[in-house]
Amino acid sequence: MLSDLLDLSRNEITASAPAVSDGTDTLTYAAFVEAVGRLTSALIELDVAPGDRVGVHLQKGVASFVAVHAVLRSGAVMVPIDPFAPPEHASSVLSDAGVEVLITDARQHVFDQLVESVTLRAAVVRSSINALPGAASSIAIVDWDALASRAVADPVVIDADSPAYIIYTSGSTGQPKGIVHSHRSALAYARLAAAAYELRADDRLANIASLHFDQSTFELYAAPYVGCSVTVVPDAILRFPANVSELVEREQVTVWYSVPYVLRQLTGRGALDTRDLTSIRWVLYGGESYPPDELADLMTALPGASVSNIYGPAEVNQCTRFDLTEPPAPDAPIPIGRAWAETEIVMVDEAGNETPSGPGELLVSTSTMMDRYWNRPDLTAASIIDRKFPSRSRTRWYRTGDLAEANDDGDLVFLGRVDNQVKIRGQRVELEALDLTLRQVDGVIEAAMVADLIDGDLSLVAVVETDRGAVVTLRDVQRAVAARHPRAAVPIDLVVVASLVQTATGKIDRNAVLSQARRASSG
Amino acid sequence: MENETVRPADEFATQLTAFIVADVAPNEGEINGDTDLLLTGLVDSLGVVMISDWIENELSIVIDPVDVVLENFQTVDSMVTYARSRGALTES
Repeated sequence: MLSDLLDLSRNEITASAPAVSDGTDTLTYAAFVEAVGRLTSALIELDVAPGDRVGVHLQKGVASFVAVHAVLRSGAVMVPIDPFAPPEHASSVLSDAGVEVLITDARQHVFDQLVESVTLRAAVVRSSINALPGAASSIAIVDWDALASRAVADPVVIDADSPAYIIYTSGSTGQPKGIVHSHRSALAYARLAAAAYELRADDRLANIASLHFDQSTFELYAAPYVGCSVTVVPDAILRFPANVSELVEREQVTVWYSVPYVLRQLTGRGALDTRDLTSIRWVLYGGESYPPDELADLMTALPGASVSNIYGPAEVNQCTRFDLTEPPAPDAPIPIGRAWAETEIVMVDEAGNETPSGPGELLVSTSTMMDRYWNRPDLTAASIIDRKFPSRSRTRWYRTGDLAEANDDGDLVFLGRVDNQVKIRGQRVELEALDLTLRQVDGVIEAAMVADLIDGDLSLVAVVETDRGAVVTLRDVQRAVAARHPRAAVPIDLVVVASLVQTATGKIDRNAVLSQARRASSG
Repeated sequence: MENETVRPADEFATQLTAFIVADVAPNEGEINGDTDLLLTGLVDSLGVVMISDWIENELSIVIDPVDVVLENFQTVDSMVTYARSRGALTES
């Protein structure tokens, strides 16, 4: 069980060593385990039982780490929810997961909207939530600040194959899709990551990713696995590269894992000439591709750090890694590398036949694979297949939907998606789901969301056909998307066209629409 | 040399607030001078870039990366204080 990681009698853990810090508060392992155990006791008193889903809806900080481990210690299933997502999106995740108990620091108006649409029976609140409206007044409220007086609860013993957490991504219809990882797969990830990046008790990992983003499993579980510490970079700090670099220097961070976007901000606006970041010994990036010229800038700025490109959908956590030994050539894509430990990968063509050097869809089999999609046996059956390949020993495969090929060195190179999914700043976005939202904007008849590289960033552009005489503004479109989808899905530009290009079968021809949008913007 | 973009602090505060409400945090309702724009998530990292670009254009100043920090951008008031420290504003 993941709660075993916080057993203070383990050799790896020094009770007086720092466990987690956010630049303001620092907890030693002893204090961290105490805080976790107190919140666990509150959850148990709220009748949280093994298997129940408990939502963690907190901004990043020491408290969010305490909350995650407290839920796991209670035997319940941790469901992280983006604290900055629109309430409509958060509600749909909470409802889908059947969350009845929520740990939150939401502002009052967000909380009010959540309890209107989700049947909660209890909430642990870290903010000043006042009297609840109507039907919600029956919700039991526990004040986070009152936890200090509680006893420390022991871990609830459950089977390692029990679900540990559910991470949500948006599905193709806009319906959220919950990825269920067991304690066994999360522990396997902690073990493999600790070995791969040679983590030691004196390391300090920067936590950049939010809890609902699977990169955070690195800091959440690999750090206690080796007894090292985590510096959580708070969300407000993360918006200021110069604050981030100051925090990294002050906290002497040794290992960094984030999407390229954050690193590019750091090299571009992080005032690195005034900071000493030589404590960083390893930079891991993943979630999207890194423009090679900018990665070269990063490697120049951090000459002492190893740099690795990490690939892996949330369904399998990490599955490949590519170590850069020198700054990349400006014109060639950076490979995603090769399978890491306890992992096998095959590529299959459209007919499903193995194709040794591709291009083909990546199938992955690994100890860190999800158990299933939450309450979606149809999706699970379509995504996880049992198959024997002569060249491989494993038989349970996750179909990634990602296309790749092998280069001359035998490293895998990512080519794109089989479907209409893109990643914006590391977050998955389903273009078809966004088309639906765009079509609901007043005055819009037909619409397509397209992704284009704008100033080096993959960004979304809404392309719409409007009613005669209707005026649709970028603001209208941004509002409609922001109300229903994560921030990454909000387009930065709007192009109005007379007619969207369609394929022979009457579907939107997204590549042609992209060209339409480019022509319209440049003209 | 007189900087023709120097303007009264209160006028700048009003324009900056209007920009944030209209373009940076359109769904979030009213913003006051002391509303914390960051801890509450009203403004994300792209929003910070938008705001600093807007201030640079409006006041014809260049903001050094070391000045683009939480302390200077937490509220409209703190941005006004920063702009004043750069000599880009007058007292009404």
